[in-house]
Amino acid sequence: MGKVLMKGNEAIGEAAIKAGCLNYFAYPITPQSEVAEYLSRRLPEVDGVFLQGESEVAVSYMVFGAAACGERVFTTSSSPGISLMSEAISYIAGAECPAVFVNIMRGGPGLGGILPSQADYLQATKGIGHGDFRLLVMAPASVQEAVEMVMMAFPLAEKYRNPVMILGDGLIGQMMEPVEFPDRLQSEPINKDDWATNGMAMRKSEQRNLVKSLFLDPEQLNAHNLVLKAKYERMAREEVKYDSYNTAVNYKALVVSYGTMSRVCRTAIDDLKADGFEVGMIRPQIVFPFPESAVYDAASKKSCKIVICIEMSMGQMVEDVERSVKGIRPVRWYGKCGGEVPTPEEVMDAIKACEE
Amino acid sequence: MTLRCDGVVVIVGNYGSGKTEVSVNLAVNQRGIGQNVRIADLDLVNPYFRTREAKTPLAALGIGMILPPDQFLQADLPILSPSIAGLIRQPFGLTILDVGGDDVGATVLSSLSDSFQANSFLEGDKELRVFQVINPFRPFTETVQGCLKIRDEIEKASRMKITGFIGNANLIDETTAEHIDRGYDFVKRVSEKTRLPFEFMTVAEDLLPQVDIKQFECPVLPIKRQLVPPWKKAVSLKR
Repeated sequence: MGKVLMKGNEAIGEAAIKAGCLNYFAYPITPQSEVAEYLSRRLPEVDGVFLQGESEVAVSYMVFGAAACGERVFTTSSSPGISLMSEAISYIAGAECPAVFVNIMRGGPGLGGILPSQADYLQATKGIGHGDFRLLVMAPASVQEAVEMVMMAFPLAEKYRNPVMILGDGLIGQMMEPVEFPDRLQSEPINKDDWATNGMAMRKSEQRNLVKSLFLDPEQLNAHNLVLKAKYERMAREEVKYDSYNTAVNYKALVVSYGTMSRVCRTAIDDLKADGFEVGMIRPQIVFPFPESAVYDAASKKSCKIVICIEMSMGQMVEDVERSVKGIRPVRWYGKCGGEVPTPEEVMDAIKACEE
Repeated sequence: MTLRCDGVVVIVGNYGSGKTEVSVNLAVNQRGIGQNVRIADLDLVNPYFRTREAKTPLAALGIGMILPPDQFLQADLPILSPSIAGLIRQPFGLTILDVGGDDVGATVLSSLSDSFQANSFLEGDKELRVFQVINPFRPFTETVQGCLKIRDEIEKASRMKITGFIGNANLIDETTAEHIDRGYDFVKRVSEKTRLPFEFMTVAEDLLPQVDIKQFECPVLPIKRQLVPPWKKAVSLKR
């Protein structure tokens, strides 16, 4: 049938099915409940399992259980629900199991509001749970990109045996756009006989597998953490993903923005161009690992006088941008939080004000 | 073929079929031919992209809007303004009820059934019509059977009968004349199968010159898109 018109949340659900994930556990919360609504209809049609737990804590451990068995599994939630899942996410990372978490962010802190926000950036990229671990974090800017990222997320989670997060704001979940689905992923979870507790009957080897995050021996725990560290360093080398906009010209200012916020920035950049003011943009598509070299290279362009970080949070991405720019250009911030998405006019004014 | 609606028009349909965009544009269109128009936002299930987003431009055209109190406008609470029952009981001109999606969204109508029954339009002088919006490019309504299933579910939840269909075939910005033609044929099949009228077909205003609307056996409602993401501008409703 070709393209269909889908809400981001529905498309995320369908993309998971296309990625071969037939296990979905979730608890409703605005603005992501449509994922569960959609999958509660769709998963039974494809012999999948949707189970609504009694809380986010419960579903996050259902995810751990399925992941430990080597099954493709995912869950979706929004900010306060993700906070509740953070304990299990730490356990899953500690036990080195692959799983996909989708956070359709709403305004915070606390119950906050139900409108779009990007205020969980620090949580997702630096500190989602206790212990030395990181998530690979992908940030889609369109419904189509959300589909592609969900389908990439499962193989990546398996490649690193680590949780992957899709970090979308409320708009990504709620807006409708035409989408096209790639063919169903053919790949199977890799090497699961080496680690998954999928039953001796299923396994070719005689090895007994144990999934755990408990290492009482300090030397063993240190060694385990070094293994994890090496994994995150490999991510930093191999999983850099970003998009450039208007960077072929001699721009005076460089914007760094991600998710739907970057689409407002694009409109602002087009409108500023019409006024003869050139602005370039780097849009991280994977926010952890952060595309440091790309931001540095774009900032070091001779014509570029300033770098502006634009986001729907109170400047959570600024330190990643500053770290990348390494002091060669001043870094400024503009943003709004709480559900009001800045308009292209407001972004234009903010860019002009920074430049002056 | 001119589009003219009177009485109470209830707009239902599956989730994301375009009920709000249709309701807002129908209100503007009917106001344009001199009707008194009021529109009530009955979407209690989805907090994003609701009629309330078009509040200011609609008010400027003199279209009455019935919304929950201001302090609850951004809440995901099921608040039904008590004035809605009143406006159903005493309709004038055209009253449009923009209902939430699917059977879940339509459940609110059953709580208003006393008001619908008390209404004089049941005695024949005013009309009560319930239109199902169909976009065949949406999941679950890409087949005639899918549309009929949703119709049954909505009828059950709302305790009302659907009286006609609105064709709203679109892929937003990527809609072509071919999509409109395919969508028209599809909704026509739904209409033939159910023997219920095909009330009207929507076409985005900028696409109108490319569509041969003379071949359509129903009126066309031109759409000026109002529910846009923040990086786009709504089409001006000024005449």
